[in-house]
Amino acid sequence: MKSLFTIKSGGAASWAIRVAVAVLLGAALLWVPTRGSDSLIETFTTAFTLMAAALSLNLLLGYAGQISIGHSAFFGIGTYVTAIAVTRWGWSPFVTLPVAFALAFVIGVLVSLPALRIQGVYLALVTLALGLVFPQVIKWKKLSWLTGGAKGLNDTGFKFNKDNPTYEIFGWNPWGNLRGQNVKPFYYWVGIIIVVIVYLICRGVVKSRMGRSLVAIRDNSTAAAVMGVNLAVTKGIVFGLSAAMCAMPGSLSAIRTGTVTPDTALLTVAGSITFLVIMVVGGAGSLWGPIIGALLYQFITERTGDWTDPDKIPGLFRPFFGWAQTSPGGGIFAMSLILLMFFAPLGIVGLWRVQSRRLCKVVSKPAGTATIYKTVPASAAD
Amino acid sequence: MELFLQRLVDGLSEGSIYALLALGLVIIYRGTGHLNFAQGEMALFSAYCVYQFGEWDIPIGIAVIMGMAVGFLIGATAEVALVRPIAKKSPFAVFIVTIGLFQFLNWLDGAIWGGQQLPNTGVGSKQPRFPHLFPSADTDFVRIFGAEITIKSLGTIGLVLVITAALFLVFNRTKLGLAMRAVASNADSAKLVGIRTSTVLMVSWGMAAAIGALGGVVTAGNAQSVSQSLMFQVFIYASAAATLGGFDSPGGAVIGGLTIGVIQNLAAGYAPDWVGQEMKVGVSFLVIVAVLLFRPSGLFGTAKVERV
Repeated sequence: MKSLFTIKSGGAASWAIRVAVAVLLGAALLWVPTRGSDSLIETFTTAFTLMAAALSLNLLLGYAGQISIGHSAFFGIGTYVTAIAVTRWGWSPFVTLPVAFALAFVIGVLVSLPALRIQGVYLALVTLALGLVFPQVIKWKKLSWLTGGAKGLNDTGFKFNKDNPTYEIFGWNPWGNLRGQNVKPFYYWVGIIIVVIVYLICRGVVKSRMGRSLVAIRDNSTAAAVMGVNLAVTKGIVFGLSAAMCAMPGSLSAIRTGTVTPDTALLTVAGSITFLVIMVVGGAGSLWGPIIGALLYQFITERTGDWTDPDKIPGLFRPFFGWAQTSPGGGIFAMSLILLMFFAPLGIVGLWRVQSRRLCKVVSKPAGTATIYKTVPASAAD
Repeated sequence: MELFLQRLVDGLSEGSIYALLALGLVIIYRGTGHLNFAQGEMALFSAYCVYQFGEWDIPIGIAVIMGMAVGFLIGATAEVALVRPIAKKSPFAVFIVTIGLFQFLNWLDGAIWGGQQLPNTGVGSKQPRFPHLFPSADTDFVRIFGAEITIKSLGTIGLVLVITAALFLVFNRTKLGLAMRAVASNADSAKLVGIRTSTVLMVSWGMAAAIGALGGVVTAGNAQSVSQSLMFQVFIYASAAATLGGFDSPGGAVIGGLTIGVIQNLAAGYAPDWVGQEMKVGVSFLVIVAVLLFRPSGLFGTAKVERV
């Protein structure tokens, strides 16, 4: 394929692009909580929640090829660990995050045990059943002393009171007012921290020996086993990690909304499908895919939220969706899911990777020119 | 004893619905080797259509047949337009497409008929409740050994037996059935001996969706209404039934469906505190996991041997 520009990997142009992207990204992230409206901050915070969940699913599904439609259950475990610890035992909300992480890890590893025998669509079936069972367990009479049953739990959030400090930088406060007037930016930053943690864990796993094992399992598990990949351990760890990471945005949603019920959309199978849609539309098996997918999902969902009234639909879309009695957001995503499978199975990021090469091609350094670091002492090499 | 008999028949009647959807799953799995996650939603769309036909004063009998025809069209179209072209790429792509179809059909129901439960006098429904295929008034029951067995339960069980018998005849006594079995056994060889595999697969998907539509209508009849979430759990029960019976055995699907229905109803009836109505799905979950762990091919399925 011919491209307009050709740049060298690690060269000045390549670094200039990287720095420009990082600066733009940082500026955009700072602009939202300081200059953006409250609803925009909310939108982004919800998008961060979805992002972290989709990233965790991506590690399991996009990289390891293990289908899961039960991630809403792991999300819900995070939500309920936080809610129960805060309301029943009076813990501070943010202390519950590592606990939720650990508990979801254990449950994820337990779920991986059947996954050692069950593959493909059967695993999808088991996880789908898990996703359906979770809200029912929460509503279960035998557990309602703990979970609050179908009514859910209240006051699960973080308490903003007069004693909370405020942190201002030269009179400029991007973190939100922790004394309770405007706390939205605070959750915005917590959301970013969670996304960054999840992203770094995913990146660490993917770029390591473990990540290569995952891809090997996805592409041909028999060959992977022959090459020395320990299927049981690898699948167990990736299931556990994925579940644990998915629990963190779940905890955040309990802290942020302050009330928890088992019928919240993200805790039911609808949530699992949302994560799946975000991941596939953004790009399965790429680190940036779920991030872009989540932003797109949240913005389209909010933009089309009031499209039940035909007069609110922009003229271009009115003939297509004017007849619909409910918001077309779900339909748009369902259709794009199907269409993407035909034209770009690797999602938006996959499409970008192919198309951007027409404009600009990055050539890696010729073999043998990289700096060699001696790791073996000269005396030992003799 | 009366209570036991009553719960047994109720379980069989609920199981019959699962059997209908499971039959659809099995027919598709035998034909193309895919698990159709949109099976329940296809059935739901047909059930919504039956509601609509009822609004147009079409009697329930004819409405159901028209609903099944709609189901057949959806199934056949889905196979031709979506599954067939994508199947060449990867099984994962087919999985995503069926999930996409699941979401699309569910959204379409809401977009056409609104998000509320139907029939609903608030939006001008003429029918007081979703019509049942069989007499379902409170007085429509027969006494057997002192137990009150409703006509609709007996009717549903009878319906499944009739459908199973008809399918058995189609599979074993017609040319189409022979072709379907040939494709299920070995698609490439079937093509070589002159069977139009594409037509066979299209008809399989259509048939599966039509039988599922029947299950959707009976489910809606029992619930007396249709809503967007009607089929979520029924689909899981049906999958549990197909898993238990074996994904490539139609007879197994029926027996699996009836078994799941009976187990769930007895468990819910005799352990109301532990299982009750809300933990029925837990029973299905345990059945699915246990069967897949200890006998992945199900009770009546053939074990899959893979060449590496």
